[in-house]
Amino acid sequence: MRKYFLSAPLIIFFCMMLVFFYFLIVKRDPSELPSVLINQKTPMFETTTLFDNKPFIFEEESGQQVLVVNFFATWCIPCREEHPYISKLSKEKNITVIGVNYKDDSQKTIQWLNELGNPYSKVAVDSNGRIGLDWGVYGLPETFIVNENNIILYKQVGPITNEKYDDFIMHIEDSIK
Amino acid sequence: MIQKNLLFHKVFFLVLMMTLAGATVSNNSYAVEPEEFLKDQKQELRARDISKNVRCLVCQNQSIDESSASLAKDLRIIIRNKITEGFTDKEIYKFLTDRYGDFILLKPPLKVSTVILWALPFILFFIALFVLYRHNKKSKLR
Repeated sequence: MRKYFLSAPLIIFFCMMLVFFYFLIVKRDPSELPSVLINQKTPMFETTTLFDNKPFIFEEESGQQVLVVNFFATWCIPCREEHPYISKLSKEKNITVIGVNYKDDSQKTIQWLNELGNPYSKVAVDSNGRIGLDWGVYGLPETFIVNENNIILYKQVGPITNEKYDDFIMHIEDSIK
Repeated sequence: MIQKNLLFHKVFFLVLMMTLAGATVSNNSYAVEPEEFLKDQKQELRARDISKNVRCLVCQNQSIDESSASLAKDLRIIIRNKITEGFTDKEIYKFLTDRYGDFILLKPPLKVSTVILWALPFILFFIALFVLYRHNKKSKLR
């Protein structure tokens, strides 16, 4: 018994090694952080729209249906990669996609959307990144699913690609239920 | 043989000193840009202290004080704005964790979910002490 007790530090050490080893080999992306805003009310904001420079009040846009809010920028290369899937998403039934143009040049963004197509029902301008900060954005693109009660149900960090598309649609369907 | 040994000791001592000196110097790098500085030195020091404890989420093992990422710069400016607006340190930390969670703090707070993290070193220390005590007692008996 005593001998067994003496080996306790060694056993604890090996247990810790096992835990570390598990996290080393398990497939996970350390850059993906859980958002504290999940199941919380969306931060409200007021800004202007990209194309016609009119007031954009988020509270007026939300609360009626499930919204997809996509933070994007022309300088963000994965955003370009994601663009076809955001377009596809916007064509699905009952889905409204709002774009937030994060720390970008408005003229360049208009050009970018004219060239690639504009999937957004409205594009809000976040020129200094303050809206992004309130939404806990840290790496573009980031896409949020907001239900009709203005609760954030899901957040996707990084581009919605072919592999992630169906999964994302599933999350939207879950929020409509 | 003795001389060789002495030489070895000298080289070892030199390398050790250089490593230690390097360790103290390299800690001083920071990314704060001149235009960000606050005029009030006391407030600026407070901002620096907070920034050193806030994680840059883009380059996760750096503080925003050391990181030149654009998000880190935004956060440094916001912290400084909050300080000039009269927010307390606690309110500023809350502002940040409300948006980015506890992960943004380089030093995890003491909470129910982090108790093990904080207590484990002490638990292990006392286990080690106890083992050492038992071991000593046994060898004395011999």
